[in-house]
Amino acid sequence: MQPGAPPWGAPAPVSPLASVGPLPGTGLPDADLATRFAGRRGPLFWLALKTSALTVLTLGLYRFWMKTRIRRYYWSSIRPGGVPLEYVGEPLEKLLGFLIAVVLLAFYIGIVNLVLMFASFALFHGNTYAYVISFIGVIPLLFFAQYRARRYVLARTRWRGIRFGVDNAAWGYAVRALWWWFLSILSLGILLPRKTFALEKFRTDRTWYGSERLHQGGNPWMLMNSCKHFWIGAVLAAAGFAGAFGMPDPVGMLSFSALAALGAGWMVFGLAYWQVDSFRRLTSAKSLGGVRLAANPRPWRILRHYVIGYGLTVLAIGLLAMPFLVIAVLLNAGSANFFGLLPGTEATKLPNWVLGAAGVLAYFLVFIFWGVFRQVFVGLPNLRHYAETLTVEQPLALTAVAQRARDEFAEAEGFADALDLGAAI
Amino acid sequence: MTTITVGASHERLQAFADLFDGRAARAQRVGVTIDELPTSGVLVLALPEGGAQRWPLEALRSLPDQADRNSLILARVGDPVARLMVEDPELIRILRARAPFLHRRPPVKGKARLLAWACAAVASVALIVFVLVPVMADQLAEYLPPEGEKALGDATLEQIRSALSDNAYLPMAYCNTRAGVAALDRMTERLAGDLDLPYPINLHVLDSDLINAFALPGGHVVLFRGLIDAAETPEEVAAVYAHELGHVANRDPTRSALRSAGSIGVIGLLLGDFAGGTVVLFLTERLIDANYSQAAEAGADAFAHDLLIRHRIRPDALATMFQRLKDKYGDSEGITAHFAAHPRLGDRIEAARLAAGRLTDPPEPLLTEAEWQAMQRICG
Repeated sequence: MQPGAPPWGAPAPVSPLASVGPLPGTGLPDADLATRFAGRRGPLFWLALKTSALTVLTLGLYRFWMKTRIRRYYWSSIRPGGVPLEYVGEPLEKLLGFLIAVVLLAFYIGIVNLVLMFASFALFHGNTYAYVISFIGVIPLLFFAQYRARRYVLARTRWRGIRFGVDNAAWGYAVRALWWWFLSILSLGILLPRKTFALEKFRTDRTWYGSERLHQGGNPWMLMNSCKHFWIGAVLAAAGFAGAFGMPDPVGMLSFSALAALGAGWMVFGLAYWQVDSFRRLTSAKSLGGVRLAANPRPWRILRHYVIGYGLTVLAIGLLAMPFLVIAVLLNAGSANFFGLLPGTEATKLPNWVLGAAGVLAYFLVFIFWGVFRQVFVGLPNLRHYAETLTVEQPLALTAVAQRARDEFAEAEGFADALDLGAAI
Repeated sequence: MTTITVGASHERLQAFADLFDGRAARAQRVGVTIDELPTSGVLVLALPEGGAQRWPLEALRSLPDQADRNSLILARVGDPVARLMVEDPELIRILRARAPFLHRRPPVKGKARLLAWACAAVASVALIVFVLVPVMADQLAEYLPPEGEKALGDATLEQIRSALSDNAYLPMAYCNTRAGVAALDRMTERLAGDLDLPYPINLHVLDSDLINAFALPGGHVVLFRGLIDAAETPEEVAAVYAHELGHVANRDPTRSALRSAGSIGVIGLLLGDFAGGTVVLFLTERLIDANYSQAAEAGADAFAHDLLIRHRIRPDALATMFQRLKDKYGDSEGITAHFAAHPRLGDRIEAARLAAGRLTDPPEPLLTEAEWQAMQRICG
């Protein structure tokens, strides 16, 4: 027997999904890799609740830890071929990146805002111009920050022990994003799908998995089709509104109003359809060397998650807020008439600071639980669906992928965080 | 006590795990055994192509916050990329029991660098908020044309009315019963009629219990009903009004508004959106807008004393009211007015009493009894 060889014979297959045996030494089956999803509502709820409470208690300082920990959870939930993604970002590097961004941005935000505000009031006698100019001035920075944040997140993502990576092209991205947004607005939104494709291609073609570059294929105009339901809804709604105003008799008005309502509902479905279908088309046209991706999410499923998820979120918040509302009503009525006859209402008169503290507490509870429930009821189910309908085809080509060097990236996602782009996980 | 012993001398551990060596995107199915050394154990990973890797048990770390609780993903100290994915429940149980530092986090790297940037961030924000922005605001306030100042004040007044209102869609209403407004006009005419200002004075009363008054850019002065309620004579209201007119004449509100325009964004930047942007902005506004400087307060007081004496009104009416509020509520409770919460309230009472000595002519009443009653009922 060779030294170091296991005494119990040949290794077993790597993946429970592999009905076909693995090729020796690769651990990869010769079949497509389905994606499993391991995230569950309960653990995510407690993790999100704990970390967002700490974030509020530390005046926002803990948010770097919160983001890191929640990302670790989400990443480890997604398991293409049974092997989870790994998020290796560290909280302290996010804090460092944020501090760097503060040093650079404080000057811009402080002095430029002040001068703009002055100029706006001095020249135009109103602050609208200041806000508009200040926002326009910050837009290139937003795109820049977005690209850098994506670069950071992918540079800290691994799968099968191999790092992802993104080329440094943030300013090039900002310029193209500005141009495509300009065209989209100029065309009243008709070119928006073309913009989405162009920017996604720019980002994807600069993304690496180890030594291999990702490629965004597909027709640049293929996303126009993903918009169809939105436009159908928009046309119906517009026709309905126009007709309802033009009709003199109530019956005609009512039927046109029904048409408008139908159109509005169709537009909502159209938005979900756009989100899902554009993702499906873009992902299915991505490849990595010989490896291809196939996505097959369903619009109705995602729409259902949104409707039910937000419904549950609102319901849960309402139930939580109930005690506060009851107390508020009782206190307000204490002096007046409504519950005036109830015994004990006099005793509920509390000093102002108690009421103030209860108000602040209620605000923060609603703020915390809104975010937590949204993740548990909307974010997690959506991610699960997107993950479980994702397939990695021809995975054997992954054997050609070697490791890439670590992207030391001091500023992390500091700009995105400072500009409040980082709210989404 | 249960001791788990694994190794050559005991029941043989037979387990597999997947090794990702961090060099290529492959998984290697490895056989796992534990080599018992006198001091501690070493995980021996038998590679499929022959050879083995040795991972000491005390060098094993598990990845935190993992979603799948039925598997254990291990890293090894000193190797940033290699991972061992264990799904065998028995092996997981053994590793959890025997690897002593599974949950230890890596030591913090670059503490000095972090500290340096933290200091730089604090210093640059402090420099901007406390030096650059105030200096620039003071300079720019001189060059802001009256129309601009007026617009700035109009915008700020709307914001304040909205913030104070209970109704999210309706700003707090002005108190404007006719006789009450006539009394206000009389007071304005007497005190501000001969002031050389580039804009007319706009005096408003808001229906709030706060005992407070403030001035805004462009000649807005706002009194709260609570202040009129707390006053026993119209001269006491006039004394507060004169103080706010001092701020208007010295353009203090304009400087302050420009300062907060520069500072709010910077502080919002620091706090991020930990509790929703609006609350942060609201809090920072309170923070920055809290007080004018001591010099600005003293300047407004001096202006008020001169103005009142010129119009034959006792400048110590303010002192009388402060004293009464202090006696009634104590020093801290009840008096929410920023001027009353001033730390050197005693000095200001003293100064007002001193100024009263300069009043040589006998004082002349500000309003008739009927006008005073109308002002007290201005909110209906």
